[in-house]
Amino acid sequence: MRSPSTSALPVRGLRTVLVLAMTAAFAAAVPAAQAQTPEQIAAKPYMGWSSWSMQSSKYPGLNDKGDYSYLTEANVLKQTDALASKLKKYGYDYVNIDAGWWMDWNWKQGYDQYGRQKADPARFPSGMKAVADHIHAKGLKAGIYLPAGLEKGAYGDGTTPVWNAEGCTTADIVYPDLRTTNGWDSSYKLDFDKPCAQKYIDSQAQLIAGWGYDFLKLDGVGPGSGKSGDQYDNVADVAAWHKAISATGRPIHLEASWSLDFGHAADWQKYTNGWRIDTDVECYCNTLVSWENSVDDRWDDTPAWTGKAGPGGWNDLDSLDVGNGAMDGLTKAERQSYATLWAVAKSPLFTGDDITKLDDYGVSLLTNREVIAVDQSDNPPARPVTPSDPQQVWAAKNADGTYTVALFNLADSPSAVTADWTALGFTGKASVRDLWNHENLGSHQNKITEALPAHGSRLFTVTPKGSAPAYTGYEAEASGNTLSGNASVAGCDACSGQQKVGNLYQGGKLTFNNVVVDKAGTYLVKVAYVSGDSRPATVAANSGGGTSHKFPSTGDWGTVATVSVPVTLKAGANTISFDSGSGYAPDIDRIDVPKSPR
Amino acid sequence: MDNHPSRRGFLALAAATGALASLPSFTASAAPVRSTEPLVASRHQLWWQAPADERSMITQGLPVGNGRIGALASNDSGRELLLVTDATLWTGGLNDTLDSDGQFPYGRADFGSLTLLARLAVEIPDHDLGAVSDYRRTLDLGNGVVTASYVRSGVTYRREVFASRPDDVIVLHFSQDGGGRYTGTVTLEGTHGETGTAESFAGSFANGLKYGAAVRAYGSGGSVRVTGSHITFTDCRELTVVLSGGTDYAPDAAAHYRDPSVDPVALARTKVKAAARHSADSLLRTHAADHRALFGQFDLSLGTSTADQRELDTWARLRARADTGDPDPELEAAYAQFGRYLMIAGSRDGLPMGLQGLWLDGNDPDWMGDYHTDINVQMNYWMSDRLGLSQCFDAFTDYCVDQLPAWTDLTQRLFQDSRNRYRNSTGKVAGWTVAYSTNPNGGLGWWWHPTGNAWLCQSLWEHYEFTRSRAHLEKIYPLLKGAVEFWEARLLTTTLDDGREVLIADHDWSPEHGPQDARGNTYSQELVWLLFGNFRTAAAELKRDAGYAGTVGKLRDRLYLPVVSPKTGWLEEWMSPDNLGETTHRHLSPLINLFPGDRIRPDDSTPKDVLAGATALLTARGMDSYGWSNAWRSLCWARLKNAENAYQLVVNNLKPSANGSNGSASNLFDIMDMGGGRGIFQIDANFGTPTAVLEMLLYSRPGHLELLPALPGAWAASGSVTGAGARGGFVVDLRWRDGRPTEARIRSVGGRTTTVAYGGTSRTVTLKPGQSVTLKDFAR
Repeated sequence: MRSPSTSALPVRGLRTVLVLAMTAAFAAAVPAAQAQTPEQIAAKPYMGWSSWSMQSSKYPGLNDKGDYSYLTEANVLKQTDALASKLKKYGYDYVNIDAGWWMDWNWKQGYDQYGRQKADPARFPSGMKAVADHIHAKGLKAGIYLPAGLEKGAYGDGTTPVWNAEGCTTADIVYPDLRTTNGWDSSYKLDFDKPCAQKYIDSQAQLIAGWGYDFLKLDGVGPGSGKSGDQYDNVADVAAWHKAISATGRPIHLEASWSLDFGHAADWQKYTNGWRIDTDVECYCNTLVSWENSVDDRWDDTPAWTGKAGPGGWNDLDSLDVGNGAMDGLTKAERQSYATLWAVAKSPLFTGDDITKLDDYGVSLLTNREVIAVDQSDNPPARPVTPSDPQQVWAAKNADGTYTVALFNLADSPSAVTADWTALGFTGKASVRDLWNHENLGSHQNKITEALPAHGSRLFTVTPKGSAPAYTGYEAEASGNTLSGNASVAGCDACSGQQKVGNLYQGGKLTFNNVVVDKAGTYLVKVAYVSGDSRPATVAANSGGGTSHKFPSTGDWGTVATVSVPVTLKAGANTISFDSGSGYAPDIDRIDVPKSPR
Repeated sequence: MDNHPSRRGFLALAAATGALASLPSFTASAAPVRSTEPLVASRHQLWWQAPADERSMITQGLPVGNGRIGALASNDSGRELLLVTDATLWTGGLNDTLDSDGQFPYGRADFGSLTLLARLAVEIPDHDLGAVSDYRRTLDLGNGVVTASYVRSGVTYRREVFASRPDDVIVLHFSQDGGGRYTGTVTLEGTHGETGTAESFAGSFANGLKYGAAVRAYGSGGSVRVTGSHITFTDCRELTVVLSGGTDYAPDAAAHYRDPSVDPVALARTKVKAAARHSADSLLRTHAADHRALFGQFDLSLGTSTADQRELDTWARLRARADTGDPDPELEAAYAQFGRYLMIAGSRDGLPMGLQGLWLDGNDPDWMGDYHTDINVQMNYWMSDRLGLSQCFDAFTDYCVDQLPAWTDLTQRLFQDSRNRYRNSTGKVAGWTVAYSTNPNGGLGWWWHPTGNAWLCQSLWEHYEFTRSRAHLEKIYPLLKGAVEFWEARLLTTTLDDGREVLIADHDWSPEHGPQDARGNTYSQELVWLLFGNFRTAAAELKRDAGYAGTVGKLRDRLYLPVVSPKTGWLEEWMSPDNLGETTHRHLSPLINLFPGDRIRPDDSTPKDVLAGATALLTARGMDSYGWSNAWRSLCWARLKNAENAYQLVVNNLKPSANGSNGSASNLFDIMDMGGGRGIFQIDANFGTPTAVLEMLLYSRPGHLELLPALPGAWAASGSVTGAGARGGFVVDLRWRDGRPTEARIRSVGGRTTTVAYGGTSRTVTLKPGQSVTLKDFAR
């Protein structure tokens, strides 16, 4: 957690302090004594702008000098000025230069005499330091980008000396077999058993710190970036960067990219300030993004990571390209949902839009202070409280007792979406604040239902007035249950009773017998489950055909999560079953049936 | 209804006096009698918590219609979209140049297609769905009105959409409570590239059809004016938009189905101008009174649903019905009433309903949205008499009457084409028949359907059995006689193994199933058997053609009738013991005399082996098919008194359609699975399924009624039906409790004597038209 004194500062005040600190640091070239802890760097998800969305797009007029050619000094300065004038006051303060700053128009790299990336003179005629200076002059922070490993072009027959490392050349930092690494195999893997390897990272860190950068995106990092196995394990690279940045004395935010492996979450938490949980959000098409490729993936891919986010390190959902409908390639509803998920998941909020061309609706999305506050508050990120069905509800319980509640309709048609208070953990009345529309929607009994457009969303703060519901719990492993097919009881440290029912696949089925309720009705049954990936199960009561629900991933097979599922029960004894059908269902820990129906 | 003479009445009079052949479909309407009755929401409400997606209008749009023009409404708070259809807006024509195989072309240019007339959009940018709360829309089946409501910044906004027959316009009315205002645009567009003004457009097709549409908007409290291609409204407290449109189609073969005196766009302008002289409230009351007069002729209760079920919106309720497996009697009754709503909206004075009625989402409806004669148009009209909408049947009758000259011409000119594999081996041709598809311009499409005439006549005849209307009988007599003449020329003599000489149908196709060159198909034999019998009765009742009727009667006695296959145990579909087709095929053609005919009955009149063979075939066909196929199966099971099978098939049609699967869309339109995730709307099941519901409660044939022949357990506790039509000329009100009738009121609408049976007992009722009797104390 951040220190109390820091958290008491208003956002704007805090930034002023940091800017002053950096200015002073820069004056001292490479300051040593002002090192800050990672928590202070990424106390909150960062906000800003990144160049990649426009670089990667085929949108007319963006990349006239060839692919990715949007990245130029002129464009970065233009976006810097626009960010400063339009969005800075809402908290957007990072200007992040993405891939290609050392590439010419043909994507040919340039390196200095020490094998370090060198600004391409056509793209950045004034050099990287001058750009950082301009960004800082606007009261903003500067971000830069590097790929993991020693880029092949920097190897130079192995004879290239490493800066400030007596006796080290590039041959001394890689494996003799020149094995490649990173998401594109564009680098030789660094061998950190050799002391020279850390020296090389140190030399890169000193370079960007010297230029005054405040942020580094380290890309192509594995396990992740579409790669696995020892050759692509870049944990040591990330650790080396962490160490190298500390050694510079400059507070530089380290962001790791892309599709980082969940199994190594602890490493990313330890060494970085944020990690891209998913592939690029961009579509590499005629717009910046498109809903299907791959904005909508985030609803499925985020829940596993929810518990990993916190001060110092955040789940990075990638660019938030909602500022211009035509350029983004999204409907208004999709843009709002995109921003809603990013906010409730507490993802960094950095747009990849052309900030000089935001449309009115885009401005309203990017500058809604109530929504930004959800992202930037001390409250935890939301996670699904319903299954990941086309209509789903995400929620977080806030420190002040309120709830952040997001309704999503991921279907291709408008649909009603209901948030049942029981699924949040209370019953009775609650008052509802509509954050996007800045309206109080009054008091709602037991639930709120709204009509959402296709791919639409709503975002509420719900203030409960009621009490916690009473439940009757049923353990999956209880002897009275019926296990069919492959289903079997298994140990599970995180589960209640330290047991669960697993092997629910291809005909495997768990039936809770004798679920007794007093009154007929629909009950929001809490299902505690374990699932290393997102899996469906058909939940049925008695002789009904049941409903197939998709259970969000809990991240691994040792973590329990809970969602609420509506089940219609009759008065008296019922059965409730979880059927894998022809597929693979999650493991079930237990169910809790409310004493009262919906 | 009774207060103002309908155009139908006028037409009937004109026809009787020979004064007028036909009026164009789109024609000046008399000033309606204005209803001042305040509108009270009916008990029959379907409701939803989300509007339609514009890309999914066919499954989510709510239908309105006045029998001539119809629309699907999106009800989106920020953008109301109407897809407007006119039943006569057909491309194509007579289509009388056969393809090389002697069959009819079947394309959108030659045969033609039903198409959309217009798109009307009312944009209210400030009311984007993402910015409103408490959204809800409702289809009030009883009043015939769609409503939508929502809250925006504390103001409750409400709109109504309805299609008025008395004013011949579609109306959108926007109001609010709480000081709100409407600002936005109204945009009217054609769908065929027309150019027009903000308030109207006109066009014509290659087939000479002229058409046009007009819109008018008026409000209070703000301003409404034309700006370029839109009507712009600003700060209106209330807004009314009226739309009309039509074509110069006239149901007259002699005039090539056109009335050149009609200027559609001028007429449309006249109609919206006339309507705009009245408040939206007055338009709505007048419309609702007209709608209620028909809707109220029938009611149905199948039992009581739970409070939990009632709390769900219609779509959630369909899903819950499927997920839980628990009966939802009120939903099941509402589904039947929805079919009646569609009938009132889709079938009044003008053309009847084809494959999609008046509801399209584009200009390329599957199978052209045409009139399919091998069950679909017939199924559309099975419901109307049984569920208290006899008047709505007339459009179907008139269609056949109006097409008859063209069908006769095409048959006599083209049927004997040497390339036509179905031509008469006798070398003779007489009377008329049809192809599988027909259009309203006299044209036939796709393959010849020689037996189609007999099936059309069977439906037309049944309407007579329900109504005992002599005027109807006179109207259809030329159709019956022409079909009989066709078959007299077509039937062949053959000798069976047992030496018996019988008459069989020539080369034909049991609809869409098996060999295309089989003789003596059960489908043809049974329908011709019905046709000949019905003609004989008709001739006797009209005292016409006594000699010819006698001849036809003798032919009928010689018709071959199907036997049970010793191989399959099924009633044979072809004159073969072999199964020449697909066991679970969608059609039930060989059972056509189980339903809709009733030669095969679960009583002593039918040989046991035939009954067993029919039952075995029906069993083999299975319980899982397309909506219309399920409806037909359900009807057959009801006839066999297997209540639970009949009910399960109804329930199957209530299954929510997902990714194009068979079942009900969220707007309750029946969806037919075309494979690959594509489902299409076909309206027949929306009528066939309610028919099955009714047949489970009441079986009738002339002279015999049976109460609760197939009452399923789900509806047994208590229920009632009022206004159910019964063959023989009666209308029945029936109540039941604990699975047994408690009271049955039999009213004659032309019938004289009938037995009324329940369980093992029956009694005989004799009434004069208009008289009724109430029966109680039914023994089990």
